[in-house]
Amino acid sequence: MEMKKFILKRGIEIVIIFFVILTTLFLLFHMAPGDPISRMIDPTMNPEDAQQLISELGLDQPVWTQYLYYLKNFFTGHFGVSFHYGRPVLEIIGKRLPNTIILFTSSIILSALVGIFMGKIAAWHKGKKTDTFMTVGALVLHTLFLPWLALIFIWVFAYKVGWFPLTGIISAEVWTNPNAGFLLKTLDVLHHMALPLFTLFVIHFGSYLLIMRSSMLETLREDYILTARAKGLEEKTVRNHHAAPNAALPVITSIGLSLAFSISGGAITETVFTWPGIGRELVFSVSNSDYPLAQASFLLIALIVLLSNLVVDVLYAYVDPRIRY
Amino acid sequence: MAMLLPLLFFASCGSRTAADTLRIGIAEEPRTLNIWLASDANSRKILSQIYQALYTRDPETLEMIPWLAEKSPKYEPDNLAYTVKLRPAKWSDGTEVTSEDVAFTAYVIKKFNVPRLISTWRFVKKIETPDLYTVKFYLKKPNAVFLTRTLTAPIVQKRQWEGIVKRALERKKPLATLLNEKIERPIGTGPYVLEEWRQGAYLHLRKNRFFFGKGRIVNGRVLGPFVEHIILKIFGTSDVAVLALKKGSIDFLWWGIQPGYIDDLLKDKNIRVFFSKKSALYFMGFNLRKPPFKDRALRRAVAMLIDRQFIVTRILQGYGSRMLSVVPEGNRFYYNSQVPRYGFGMTRDERIRAAYAILSRAGYTWDVPPIDAKGGLVAAKGMRLPDGRPMEDFTILTPPSDYDPHRAIAGIMIQEWLRDMGMPAFAKPMPFGALLQKVKAKHDFDAFVLGYGKLSLDPDYLRSFFHSSGDKPRGWNMSGYRNPVYDKLADASRAAMDPEIRRKLIKQMQEIVLKDVPYFPLYNPTLIEAVRKDRFEGWVEMLEGIGNIWSFCELKAFAGGE
Amino acid sequence: MSEAIAKISTRKKTPATSYRTERLKENWHVFRESLLGKLGLILLSIFALMALCSFIPPLIDPMYNPMSGVDPLVSHSVGPSFRHWLGTDFIGRDIFSQLLGGARIAFMVGISAAFMSIFIGTIIGMVAGYAGKTVDSLLMRFADMIMVMPTLLVVLILSSLFGQLNIWTIVLLIALFRWPGVSRVIRAQTLSLKQRPFIDAARVAGASHFRIIFKHITPNVLPLALLYMTFRVTSAIIIEAALAFLGFGDPGTVSWGMMLQWVWKTGNMFQAPYWLLPPGICISLITLSFYMLGRAMDEVLDPRLRSVKQMR
Repeated sequence: MEMKKFILKRGIEIVIIFFVILTTLFLLFHMAPGDPISRMIDPTMNPEDAQQLISELGLDQPVWTQYLYYLKNFFTGHFGVSFHYGRPVLEIIGKRLPNTIILFTSSIILSALVGIFMGKIAAWHKGKKTDTFMTVGALVLHTLFLPWLALIFIWVFAYKVGWFPLTGIISAEVWTNPNAGFLLKTLDVLHHMALPLFTLFVIHFGSYLLIMRSSMLETLREDYILTARAKGLEEKTVRNHHAAPNAALPVITSIGLSLAFSISGGAITETVFTWPGIGRELVFSVSNSDYPLAQASFLLIALIVLLSNLVVDVLYAYVDPRIRY
Repeated sequence: MAMLLPLLFFASCGSRTAADTLRIGIAEEPRTLNIWLASDANSRKILSQIYQALYTRDPETLEMIPWLAEKSPKYEPDNLAYTVKLRPAKWSDGTEVTSEDVAFTAYVIKKFNVPRLISTWRFVKKIETPDLYTVKFYLKKPNAVFLTRTLTAPIVQKRQWEGIVKRALERKKPLATLLNEKIERPIGTGPYVLEEWRQGAYLHLRKNRFFFGKGRIVNGRVLGPFVEHIILKIFGTSDVAVLALKKGSIDFLWWGIQPGYIDDLLKDKNIRVFFSKKSALYFMGFNLRKPPFKDRALRRAVAMLIDRQFIVTRILQGYGSRMLSVVPEGNRFYYNSQVPRYGFGMTRDERIRAAYAILSRAGYTWDVPPIDAKGGLVAAKGMRLPDGRPMEDFTILTPPSDYDPHRAIAGIMIQEWLRDMGMPAFAKPMPFGALLQKVKAKHDFDAFVLGYGKLSLDPDYLRSFFHSSGDKPRGWNMSGYRNPVYDKLADASRAAMDPEIRRKLIKQMQEIVLKDVPYFPLYNPTLIEAVRKDRFEGWVEMLEGIGNIWSFCELKAFAGGE
Repeated sequence: MSEAIAKISTRKKTPATSYRTERLKENWHVFRESLLGKLGLILLSIFALMALCSFIPPLIDPMYNPMSGVDPLVSHSVGPSFRHWLGTDFIGRDIFSQLLGGARIAFMVGISAAFMSIFIGTIIGMVAGYAGKTVDSLLMRFADMIMVMPTLLVVLILSSLFGQLNIWTIVLLIALFRWPGVSRVIRAQTLSLKQRPFIDAARVAGASHFRIIFKHITPNVLPLALLYMTFRVTSAIIIEAALAFLGFGDPGTVSWGMMLQWVWKTGNMFQAPYWLLPPGICISLITLSFYMLGRAMDEVLDPRLRSVKQMR
């Protein structure tokens, strides 16, 4: 029952934070130099269509009323019409969202699992060659510059070696083939996801490894580990069943703390690999000065970050009862 | 994962044979398949395979030849009427193309004031359809662009659009309704029809078995099309697209290629690189409505200081040519080479001295003049206006480097050249949409570097760019040039039906523009495209590239041996 | 009585001061012994040297100016030679000078952003720690909220509203999103300092809150803040590089990220490794060096992480 209260509390906090973000963006939109209306409505749109959109979005109202319209529109999905695509923004980001979720979630889970696993081993072999190799490796990989690494991966794996597709999420050859079944199409998507996933994994797992390692070292000094050993349990059991699960907790916290960094990294990866997700759409729409799409993409990403934080906090609370209150 | 890969390879082999599918790489998603809304290049590329016009241009001579029309139009000078006879042709749904469709197309354009098309249809007073295959156009007054611009508009099927038009007219905002109509299956007369559009990934076109040109011989060319399928793959970045071409996942990159890739592509035995001339104008524009560029002497001095050779050699890597006039050199009939040349062919030394001469004569002074007491060159500082006040900072707006690195870098180099002279110049890359807003809509700028990548061969744009009537928000006269003498010449050139008279007028107009320099022409880039040699052959080279209707009609699978 | 207390609080060498010196000495010893610290310092010095040397090439010959200096003989991208140690970019500018200039920009961005965020974070952290209760809670909630936002993407949306940003605006924006980390640490320090007797003494002597914060707490908190946070500059450098790479940087500055953008957009990505590799390696290595120094600082602060050699 405490759990429910906890989730509710955090949930309310997130709603408040999101409102603050919404409002701040609204204020900035009006304070920025230039004409707010022409920022939101494509100036090359013909006047009648523009007028209809203006009234729909409430842009001809006084500022206070506009704010209410803005909130209402956000929750009913009226984000305006994209300058570039000429289609409603909702339609576009609706299609992009699943792609980002798939890539983002898999990369976090994969990096965390491998980071935890390898960190555990590194701690166990502390001081020896394995440990040094892993630690140095993790450190170096974690500090590589993401866009640069992504480009090099494309060149090596997609071009020189040719195992992976160069770009995008699906191959036209597979999807225009009338004989291709569901399994084949799924495999095709996975095939395209491999490189971006790998890139994100390389950048992120290092930090999880290092955190797991130091956390594991601390945990191994704890009393209950001494007790477990004294009880005569096998080293392996002690390590994997007693120490590791507790040592893994700080990694979960760190996932939460570095979510902002992971999302930015996700956006860069999507851009370089042309993975049609929300992150790429944000970058693309800002380059095109397509404000309606940029605003909606940004808000959606903010929402994703906040919800991910909630998920991580809940997960942590579930695993460690001490922090629930 | 390793086990899955062979599976994929087998699967893709099982699909249609590679020889019947042309895979093309394009830059971005097309915006729409609605012909009235399509303003972006990618939409037009797709729709140009589907919708055809009464006349089109021959790839070699660039002359107008009959396409959906059977022969050249018959002109009746007394009535200002043109009669066009239609070729027997069918729409992609099997129904016949009739004069009703042509009349209907004109009706839609005029009734709704369809942007971009209405300007060339406004002066068509009346259209008659004496029989199913004859159309008669009556003009309000003589207009030189009728043949070259009006009759090249795409013809739509009355049947497909009738209902939509009727509904749109009932609405409060008819044009908006018309433009926003989502057309899933455009019915056209071209060599291909749309089979599928998977947003974000690809478009699939299929051969149109009703294509009127099928099997015909037009101007000595045997038309197909011979390739069954076209798949257009959408790439986000050009470097990946080039890699795809080298790797073999696409056969043709329908996108201008950056010069940096050339060496590598030329070395590849399987790739052929095409260099096509563009009918383009990349230029620096000035705002004549306010200082500092209100002063012609300053504009001329700036023109003098710009090293066009540098731009072509370094920025374009040699793939382009300097432009002397606002009409491209390739437009041989209208091009005037006898215009003021400014710094053309001069060294930096000569350039600075020449600019110095112009500016000092006009009364400009410096805190540190570019020419010292002994007559040697120094870095000038602090230029002052003729009234003695120091010059205020001015900005040169350019598109951002990820949109067009050439213009962005050109802006930066121009900034440096002007600063050498003591001018407080600042190059400012800006997102393209915002740039157009500032320059075209609000007229809030000092100078800019922009370009028209696809200038029509008909030089009517000289009238739109510099006639004083165009000096209004969103008008084409972005610089605010107002010259009554020029206006008169421009109006006369529009009305001149005799090509020789028109040519003379156009040449005079170029001279005036280059004397007053509201725009200073910089360069004309070469269009670089590449294809895989081992896949298809029959590409037709034409002004503006090989992605033209002739290539698509003549392309065949590569038959050659090893 | 009050005289004596007043004397105590104005005495120059307070117990707090000598304690501080002791600690600094110990910290330096720990730092010196750390392998990571040493490596980090060496790498960082190389970059600092690069940044300082960036003024030299344009003085040798104007063609070495990173922004506008072109080699009159070379007009496209060529490989390394005696004239151009790392070759030239696509219009003939020297890549090595650009690399040196980039080091200067990286330091400027990193250090300025760090100082700005330290400034903001210290003030907020101190106020929160000192005031406690509602103010503390509100400020920390605010800090949490800021920390959650992905800085890169926020700068992106701001640039879509405000147009192309210049380098200082970017630095300021980065600082505005990095201060929460500082404020937490400072707040913790302030909380613990608040309990110390010398603070009580000052309060009893009648010092205002303001004076207490600035004269007594700040000196104790600031060295820690500076040491701790200066090595968190990495994210500022990476964010600026990523922004420049994507095309949203300041076009007038030649940063490493901007170099990568040019090599990408002009189609030399896969033909010119001498142009592609150096900026990427530099960004990665400078990040690594700051990270190593940061880890060394961790060892200074947290005795449990120290190796045997570092123990006295």
